[in-house]
Amino acid sequence: MSDARDLEADVGEVLLSEDEIQARVTELGRQVSADYAGRQLTLVSVLKGSLPFMADLMRAITVPVRIDLMEVSSYGGAATESSGLVRILKDLSASIQGEDVLIVEDIIDTGLTLNYLLRYLRGKNPASLRICTLLDKPARRLVDIPVDYTGFTIPDQFVVGYGLDYGELYRNLRFVGVLRPEVYAEPA
Amino acid sequence: MTDPTTGEQRTGAVAGPAAPASDDHTDAPPRPPFAHASEAEMARILDFYEVAWEYEPRTFPILWNLAGDVVESFSPDFYLPDLGLYLEMTTLRQRLVRKKNRKLRRLRELYPDLRVKLFYARDFRALMLKYGKLALVDALSGTPGQVMPDREPEPAAGPTPAAPSTRRSVTRRTTPAPASEARR
Repeated sequence: MSDARDLEADVGEVLLSEDEIQARVTELGRQVSADYAGRQLTLVSVLKGSLPFMADLMRAITVPVRIDLMEVSSYGGAATESSGLVRILKDLSASIQGEDVLIVEDIIDTGLTLNYLLRYLRGKNPASLRICTLLDKPARRLVDIPVDYTGFTIPDQFVVGYGLDYGELYRNLRFVGVLRPEVYAEPA
Repeated sequence: MTDPTTGEQRTGAVAGPAAPASDDHTDAPPRPPFAHASEAEMARILDFYEVAWEYEPRTFPILWNLAGDVVESFSPDFYLPDLGLYLEMTTLRQRLVRKKNRKLRRLRELYPDLRVKLFYARDFRALMLKYGKLALVDALSGTPGQVMPDREPEPAAGPTPAAPSTRRSVTRRTTPAPASEARR
């Protein structure tokens, strides 16, 4: 698992090709542009997985956009052991008070992270707060969150690529694929 | 005690001290005596994301005999009050899951306004995979009785319809320390 060629070999099935992703992102950009016509929009990308989607989506949007980045700790790592609570690792760089804000996510599954983020961002009093996700995995949902823009609804499989990782790898794949189970069955 | 309808061991309230909390916060509420380590892990996840929860707060009767006595009931593992959602977790074998599915269907028939999600073993496995804790699943899967060793059984008792539990825990709202772990 040390180079891109090996990474692709770890993918058992290409779920979404590069062309499919780009076509859908372009559509989403048109839709967002139409919905926010005549307004300025702030896109908030949730690191790290949403970076490629953010980069493509913002260029598909034709209304004026500002961008900002946030990073939230995830359960299961060092942060869990030290505090047991989610935290903001990278906060917004500018105020969103009175702004139209669109959260840009790579994938929504349980909705736990997004639920936390929504509560946090609502506290900053934006004029509006909506959600755009490239991938939605509703079978995993614990927290029902209304999603305003969805790229693809996907089955309950572990996917990597186009920003999505396993062990911080695979983010640079240009497609979204299903990781072969034997990859994560191996000791990390 | 063992649930006669599913075969799953499900103990009640314990007289002794609750299991220790997962971190060093001294102001954290005591942990309830979870029936299974997967439930304890789910509680830690809910705590992490600041989702309030209650453990087995209600028992719902789902079957009565001709005399009107409750002969079968269902106590979902978690209630998430902010989300209005009951969560039932299982790491049971498929044969027993079918019985649990049947109970859940009955529950939904009798209480159609109730929002209940059954969290299967595969759901828990997927969650652990996402959080990089897959080894925990392997450690828990197929454990006989599905019971944590530090939990003491209570004397057998009949079902208590819709009775609030004395075991209640809500999420902590303490200030975290800095860390460097990023989400996916």
